[in-house]
Amino acid sequence: MTDERHKNGTSLTDSRKLRNQMPRWVLILLALGVAAVIASRITQLLMMMIAAVVIAYIFSSVIKAFERLGIKRSVAVILLFVLAGVFVIAADLIFIPDLKQEVMNVYAKCPEFSHQIKDALLLIAQDSAGRYPFIESSIMNLVDNVFGPSGFLERTPNASKILKQATPFIMAFILVPFFVFFLLKDWPGVKKRVMAWVPPSYVETTISVIEEINILVGKYLRGLAVDCFVIGVLASAGLWLIGINYHISLGILSGVANIVPYFGPIVGCTVSSLVALMQYRSFDPVWNVVVLYLVIKLMDDLIMQPLLIGKGVHLHPMLLVITLIVVENLFGIMGMILGVPVVTAAQKTAAILLEHHRETLRRKSKVSLIERPLVKSPVRPI
Amino acid sequence: MFLDNKIVRRYFTWALDTTRESHLATLSDGPLFKGMDKKLLRKLVIDLIEKKYSAGDIIFHEGESGKAVYVVLEGSVKIIKESNLENKILSVLGPGSHFGELALIGHTSRFATAVADKDSLLLIMYKSYFDDLIRYNSATSARILLNLAEILSDYIHRNQPECNDEKVLP
Repeated sequence: MTDERHKNGTSLTDSRKLRNQMPRWVLILLALGVAAVIASRITQLLMMMIAAVVIAYIFSSVIKAFERLGIKRSVAVILLFVLAGVFVIAADLIFIPDLKQEVMNVYAKCPEFSHQIKDALLLIAQDSAGRYPFIESSIMNLVDNVFGPSGFLERTPNASKILKQATPFIMAFILVPFFVFFLLKDWPGVKKRVMAWVPPSYVETTISVIEEINILVGKYLRGLAVDCFVIGVLASAGLWLIGINYHISLGILSGVANIVPYFGPIVGCTVSSLVALMQYRSFDPVWNVVVLYLVIKLMDDLIMQPLLIGKGVHLHPMLLVITLIVVENLFGIMGMILGVPVVTAAQKTAAILLEHHRETLRRKSKVSLIERPLVKSPVRPI
Repeated sequence: MFLDNKIVRRYFTWALDTTRESHLATLSDGPLFKGMDKKLLRKLVIDLIEKKYSAGDIIFHEGESGKAVYVVLEGSVKIIKESNLENKILSVLGPGSHFGELALIGHTSRFATAVADKDSLLLIMYKSYFDDLIRYNSATSARILLNLAEILSDYIHRNQPECNDEKVLP
């Protein structure tokens, strides 16, 4: 009976403790909500910070390679920036003239491309006029909206609009390298300062969170890079096999678009389908393109992603789509790219903290019951 | 080796991380990392997390589940066995020594309490990092496991009669 009461007493104390801690959790949730609202208001700056963190994370391995030679971190970061500068100048001298020529060619051909797309769409509208009137009306609406006198392509942007749209890019061009420099240089110092604030009883849990996030983000970024490359190669080869023009450019586009889960493959497939439509002026090759992208998506989901990214970065499909929609609304395209690893990391962190909390409660309830024989030896592995 | 080059040592001292080099020397003298290649050891020191403890700070309590091994870089740490009657100091560990090593093998409870004796700087290796080393860097993990096996076998040899009495291995 006494034992029963003791047990009940312990569990009651625990639940009381939990209840006492509830306002703290509510406060944390409120703080997170306020932080999310503030973050959504300063999205541009936040996106620049996130881009800088990702770039710094990728280049941290280069810095570590320098450090392994015994070089000071600050010197290693300066060396990296000098090397990057040399690389940019070399690229500017060697590749930029050709790339500039390519871009100029595509720009010059733009009116021709838009006419081709318009002609192909009008042809399909004519073909489907008798059998599928709703398709005809939809296509005519689309042609009006895009190619009409007040359409999307006919609107000429003025200088102030161009400047307004270019400002964030110019800012990012200056600020992102600035942030990257200080993130790379000061990261170990920040880590040390954070560790100094952590109370001793939370040290192992904090390190656990840092390690798990580090492993998870590293795995995700590396896996995503390889996945995008493989998708690009597969799309390019597949489009070449079914005889679609510009298969290399379309492959590169598909690979890059694949960074955004679910929506990326749709973008790649849509653009390739448009090119197929323009080239053949018929729907048959479009079906081939759609089947090709479906096969690639299946291969990606069943073979490549489990192999490259693994089960560590896994969100339930429903949670993933909700995450993508929410982060797209809050932070735009960059949010869609980084939403998945951030939410997965938050999920892991919550799991670790919950485990720590449970263990603390368990230990407090058992602390008086631990009895072990006293070991005479002064040195023993612990 | 880049650092062993005399010219580098003479003219580029300003670019070299001397604090890390002294920590490396401390680690290579300790039993857990002895015989390890300097390059691999430097990688460990770069990757792992350091934390300063003030004198009297409790690093971990007896009975807690162990998730990390600690190496003393500066200062000293007391290992204390708590009992109902009195707290017995099992050992005082100085720079190069390690404690909590059983956490690398499995999720075991801490056998004793560790307390910072003086202001100390500790290097902390978390279990998941070690598990990753086993998967991706077998040279480093094999060396550490071998050293760990040596430490354990040494302990068993020194305490043979007690082990026979208790019929329990550490």
